[in-house]
Amino acid sequence: MSSYKENNTNYFAWLKHPTQYLFFKIFIWFWLTLISTVAALVFLSQLTATNLVMNEPLNGPMKKNLIYTAKGIERSVVKHKRTLSEVLAHPRYAKRKLLYITSNHSDDVYTNIDIPKDIDLSLLNFTKQMSAQVIFSDKYQAYGPIHLELLDGSYNIYEIDIKHQPPLLLSLKIMPNWMKVSIAVIASLILSFIFSRNIIAPINSLKKAAIKLSGGDLTARAKIPTSRNDELGILGRDFNAMANQLEQLLSAQKRLLADISHELRSPLTRLKMATGLAQIQANDASQSYLLRIEKEANQLDKMIADVLQVSRLEAKSQALSLQYQPLQIILNHVINDAQFEAKQHNKQLVVTGNADINFKCDEALIASALENLLRNAIKYANNSIALKLNCTDTINIEICDDGPGVPEQQLSKLCEPFFRQSDARDRVSGGTGLGLAIAKNAITAHNGTLSLSNKAQGGLCAKITFAITKE
Amino acid sequence: MKLLMIDDDTGLCELLSEYLSTQNFEVEAVHDGAQGLKLAQDNDYALILLDVMLPSMDGFEVLKQLRLSKLTPVIMLTAKGEDFDRIFGLELGADDYIPKPFNHRELLARVKAITRRIEHINTLSSSAPANNKLNINGLTINTAAREASIDEHTLTLTGTEYEVLTLLCKHAGEVVSKEKISEEVLGRRLASFDRSIDMHVSNIRKKIAEHIKTERIKTMRGTGYVFIQGE
Repeated sequence: MSSYKENNTNYFAWLKHPTQYLFFKIFIWFWLTLISTVAALVFLSQLTATNLVMNEPLNGPMKKNLIYTAKGIERSVVKHKRTLSEVLAHPRYAKRKLLYITSNHSDDVYTNIDIPKDIDLSLLNFTKQMSAQVIFSDKYQAYGPIHLELLDGSYNIYEIDIKHQPPLLLSLKIMPNWMKVSIAVIASLILSFIFSRNIIAPINSLKKAAIKLSGGDLTARAKIPTSRNDELGILGRDFNAMANQLEQLLSAQKRLLADISHELRSPLTRLKMATGLAQIQANDASQSYLLRIEKEANQLDKMIADVLQVSRLEAKSQALSLQYQPLQIILNHVINDAQFEAKQHNKQLVVTGNADINFKCDEALIASALENLLRNAIKYANNSIALKLNCTDTINIEICDDGPGVPEQQLSKLCEPFFRQSDARDRVSGGTGLGLAIAKNAITAHNGTLSLSNKAQGGLCAKITFAITKE
Repeated sequence: MKLLMIDDDTGLCELLSEYLSTQNFEVEAVHDGAQGLKLAQDNDYALILLDVMLPSMDGFEVLKQLRLSKLTPVIMLTAKGEDFDRIFGLELGADDYIPKPFNHRELLARVKAITRRIEHINTLSSSAPANNKLNINGLTINTAAREASIDEHTLTLTGTEYEVLTLLCKHAGEVVSKEKISEEVLGRRLASFDRSIDMHVSNIRKKIAEHIKTERIKTMRGTGYVFIQGE
């Protein structure tokens, strides 16, 4: 649970405990698969050793051009009786790209310009018997051979393009191995990441929405793109439909409760009025019954008021009249009443610390929250109730009793409306079963928290925490 | 003494009329806002009991219209817990409110507190000398005519506002607690966190501020109010 929460706040939380995350598993497996595939391919290609030279047949205008050039040289040599070197030195050729002519019967080599030092043209020898080719190497690109028939034998001519960048395929081939590996690793890494994100993003969105929903935020929905029509897209939309349904049902139920309670008030007012009239005329014998009717009507009235208060607070429709005021003054009101009540039950309320601070709040609401908690503590305490106040970093109000406490599994349900841990006792003491629900909601409305826990030595502790508000 | 009750709950109106008649009040009941407003404008009632939720025109609107011409005391019947209703009613010039469902004794106490005051004033004004005046810091209160004015400008105060102001003036310079104001003026104990007195004082302040700039009533946070005596 804690790691899920972390993930909500920190996008890269999965880096801390990677093995807990589906994202990591999918990512790592996909990545390993890709990597091993690439590695196998590289290994296999290494087995078939290849030269760093590639060639493909030469066709089209390049070939025609070269043949035309070859014919020109042939003519110059044969008709004008010049040597090859003389012909190549002619400005007509000297200005051209590097022309390279080898003899088939000797090691003689002729060029129109000097061959750059770093260029090794001996590689071209293996193509002598071939038809015209384009030959790629890392430094140059050669076109040829075209055969020349001169007086003293046959020659081959190549045109060499030195400045030409090696083609992509070749540059990949001639790349150092470490670079090949890192490119493969990075590419597969990115690919795997995108793939895993694509699968995990909707699941994460679902997870967040589900956590929020279970936390009581009924407006939470999973963010699933409408264009997504795979299983995850459908799941997300179904989840949202379910959340809609849930929200409608719950709000309808709450509204119903509020409406009924509201409507109950008119007859209750009449009932009280009629009782009042009856009391004026009644004799002593029926007077006690009328008093009883009045008391029950008052109890009903209190319950309706509490239900309405809880439903208003839960629906957040209660307008809070927030004002800065000394918290101690509000507390004094509540403590005075509680002290009086405790004394009536022969119990003792012990107050320690103070709340000497200005707090932005709805005083009536805060007072009713504290009243309800104190009343509850007084009801269940054996002898004494401790109220501890502390306002150093946050506003802390702790109310502890020395009563029997509450079974651990019921602690979380205590703040639900009408939850009773033991029917008989609560009815006798006349609670409406809504006090803690009101307290909880009133505190939440002020962005505070209420936590209930059992003391080790017995008794229930209610701890309220508010952030200090700056005026 | 004649009361007007404006409430759409006919059953409650009948019961309440019967009950109040045993206490020597005559109750006239109407169940519609517009109709109620007309009656209230045309007649002088000792008190009006006004429900908030009404057909055709709600209680607030009735009160707003009524206050344009009349200062008849009004007790609003609000739904319990609806703090906004309560405060809004007082802001519009209601004298007091009572949350529904109310206790008949509580209602009677509030009705009596307000009517008794008026009765008291009436007997007082007929017998008291006309020059019975309070004069503090530019504020003049003519207790015989039940009139208050500031620097010669007459203040149009509701009965309750007039009472609150008079009480503060009688104790000018000292802090008057909200509890004391509530008990003396509204005839009831002030419940914890009850804003009624604050609302009445705030209304008085607004009315004074229409004529003069300087603050006359000072708030003592958490305790009460002081009418500033001046130099």
